[in-house]
Amino acid sequence: IEADSTGSSMEEKPDVEMAENPFEPYIEPLRRQLENQEPVFLIGVIVALAVVISSCVFLKYFLSSKTVRSAVLLVGLCDSGKTLLFCRLLSGKFKRTQTSITDSSAPYKAKSDRGSTWTLIDLPGHESLRSQYLEKFKSTARAIVFVVDSAIFQKEVRDVAEFLYDLLTDIVISRNAPAIIVACNKQDITMAKSAKLIQQQLEKELNTLRVTRSAALSSQDGSIGGSMYLGKKGKDFEFGQLSMKVEFVECSARGSKSEDGDAELERLEKCLAKL
Amino acid sequence: MLDFFTIFSKGGIVLWCFQGAGVTESFAGPVNALIRSVILQERSGNTSFNHEALSLKYKLDNEFELIFVVGFQKILTLTYVDKFIDDVQLHFRDRYKNELEQRGALKLLNNSYEFEDDFNMLLRQAEESSKARSPVPMRSFKESEKSQKTVKSMIETKGGDKGKEPGGKKNKNTKKEGMYKPAVFTPEIDILNGLLSRASVQKVPLSFCSKSPKPQKPREKQMRVWDMGGNSTKELDYSYKNDLQSNGEQMEEVNTDLVRNLPQLEMTSESVTKISTKKGGSFGGMFGMLKGLVGSKSLTFEDMEPVLDKMKDHLIAKNVAAEIASQLCDSVAKKLEGKVMGTFTTVASTVKQALQESLVQILQPKRRVDILRDVMEAQRLQRPFVITFCGVNGVGKSTNLAKISFWLIENGFRVLIAACDTFRAGAVEQLRTHQRRLNSLHPPEQHGGRSAVQLYEKGYGKDAAGIAMEAINYARNQAFDVVLVDTAGRMQDNAPLMTALAKLIAVNMPDLVLFVGEALVGNEAVDQLVKFNQALADHSMSDKPRLIDGIVLTKFDTIDDKVGAAISMTYITGQPIVFVGTGQTYNDLRSLNARAVVSALMKA
Repeated sequence: IEADSTGSSMEEKPDVEMAENPFEPYIEPLRRQLENQEPVFLIGVIVALAVVISSCVFLKYFLSSKTVRSAVLLVGLCDSGKTLLFCRLLSGKFKRTQTSITDSSAPYKAKSDRGSTWTLIDLPGHESLRSQYLEKFKSTARAIVFVVDSAIFQKEVRDVAEFLYDLLTDIVISRNAPAIIVACNKQDITMAKSAKLIQQQLEKELNTLRVTRSAALSSQDGSIGGSMYLGKKGKDFEFGQLSMKVEFVECSARGSKSEDGDAELERLEKCLAKL
Repeated sequence: MLDFFTIFSKGGIVLWCFQGAGVTESFAGPVNALIRSVILQERSGNTSFNHEALSLKYKLDNEFELIFVVGFQKILTLTYVDKFIDDVQLHFRDRYKNELEQRGALKLLNNSYEFEDDFNMLLRQAEESSKARSPVPMRSFKESEKSQKTVKSMIETKGGDKGKEPGGKKNKNTKKEGMYKPAVFTPEIDILNGLLSRASVQKVPLSFCSKSPKPQKPREKQMRVWDMGGNSTKELDYSYKNDLQSNGEQMEEVNTDLVRNLPQLEMTSESVTKISTKKGGSFGGMFGMLKGLVGSKSLTFEDMEPVLDKMKDHLIAKNVAAEIASQLCDSVAKKLEGKVMGTFTTVASTVKQALQESLVQILQPKRRVDILRDVMEAQRLQRPFVITFCGVNGVGKSTNLAKISFWLIENGFRVLIAACDTFRAGAVEQLRTHQRRLNSLHPPEQHGGRSAVQLYEKGYGKDAAGIAMEAINYARNQAFDVVLVDTAGRMQDNAPLMTALAKLIAVNMPDLVLFVGEALVGNEAVDQLVKFNQALADHSMSDKPRLIDGIVLTKFDTIDDKVGAAISMTYITGQPIVFVGTGQTYNDLRSLNARAVVSALMKA
């Protein structure tokens, strides 16, 4: 390949020289004019061009940083049913799933009159990957669907509350204030708790958590994470006290019938359509 | 013969699965366990994993982000599995190349992957190939070497006879010993893996080692032939020749050897940039370099090797234990092999990025770390929250215990310190001094008339486990919120002391067992943690032994950015670093910030 390219470059040179020759008469007067001008003027022209180009680049950079927030994130603890929910929302089919170790994203068309499309992103729920992926995607989030396993909620209530607390006190998320939908999944299991009960339990837990977390140790380089205090001081914590909208819906990704049955996602889909 | 085979994407959607005949259990559990303990803990170096009765082997396809997992019964030794997975992977990729190259997750949902027939065919081929290598039939007497020996050579003289029998016995003995010795030296990491995966430590019968070949008795003395000896003495004459020409020839031969060796060295160091840069022509060189930057190029192991070696040395220079660093680099290599790089990314930047992500992943706690919340929970259940500190000598157990109790009483809890260090001179007095100082900082009037910190001690020379049990009972009666148990420092090799520690922990069942380690420790950290965990597992009576639950990293202010000890400790145990000690006053207690540690580690 190199031999050919060097050969072609050799051939190009005489061609370029040949091409220059017909332009000769046009370049000559231009060159003479440029030479006549003062060098200061030339420098001024070059500087102006550079400034224009750099400002164009900067503007583009700034505009793109204020990205249109068009992503809906599916977050939650491990085994709460996020990946299955992702499949159901996109295609309606049932797929077997395993623990995710990377994110999956796909465009989603809402079932509403407006039919707006946004990107549905499924983030892994495992503790070691959670924060990494949330960091990557939180600035583009327009809504966050927090999936909760309603059947084993009682055992996991502290872990769920901690994750929700981290989510709500995150600087970027509290600034953008995306809509938060807490989807109480696995309602097809008989022992599943209702959305109302889950809401009450989470409020109680977050009430205690905001006290313990603000008393937590600062990290070793001096930065104190999450110095935000959730809700209003003095009163018990309620989700209504937050600046962002938090909704609780029930759903079941698996569906109460057999595996191939439809999932009960109407309420969730209605919520998503309202966005 | 196989229990199951699954192909699923890294995002979690199963593309195709196969369940062996007669297998009723779902394989989702074992596969999830594989993902969580091997892939997510960056132990991808070893490709097989045991979960209860199953043995799982897996392969990562990084180009299309797929994972191939096969599971079979552990007691079967199937030799064709490794090659089988590779064949299946290649076959699957070739067949579904078009579908898999689409972007986004929709390709996984919309396409159905009917792989049954191909899979059955490949399985049949693999099974047949393993059967083809059937055991070789025994040789008949005529074919053996013994029939070709002369009778005279087989007649033993008296002395030779005696020499033969003990030799035979010795052979039998070594064979027997060899059978119970492990065939492969299992490094300590594998022992801990075994501990982590199954709580009960069973003495699994080790595989029989291969029979050591019986040395062949030479039948007669054979003339020894030296390689460089030649056939005549003339060739052995290395004296200076009078002939200059032959001298020059010899010198030239030597020179060309050297010249021929040098370019090889250059090539291995330049394997990162494309070979085209070596061939002359600056234009060609630039073109090659641009081609390397732009466009999709999949990573091979040879590309990554020099970068990974450099990163490994860098990590070791930052005080990460040597075996941990090499395991980490192997795991990153496995994760990146075959991955298609984006435009304008070099191999070095991709590898560094992947290594950084894995380090952050390791340092993130796998479970919730919120001591205050757990103490409140124990308060609600009206029992004290028991924390035990263990570690080797001189790491800062008592100092950090005092710091932690200060933090707890700042948050309104009442603390009982149990002085279970009954060996070191002055240990009890040290804790009493701390108690007095803490009480003066938080006088009893502030805590409803009761003292915030109390010391439970029984002097020196008594049994530590007994003192701990009494202290916990006392705390329960007097409604203390937290009990901090201070133990004596002990070396991990000291078996009786390790037994005593294990007994203390097994008998008292503390809520949190914290291992205190100093940040200055280097490769020793691996040894300490492995032996501590092993002692705790061996001497506990129950099926689920209490192992180390968390790590306290002390003397963090003495290291600038050589923070590798944090990585070594979390990698070995899989447990989070709960506290970081950064000094000797009560305020010098911090929590770990994973990102800051990793950026200090990756800094040049």
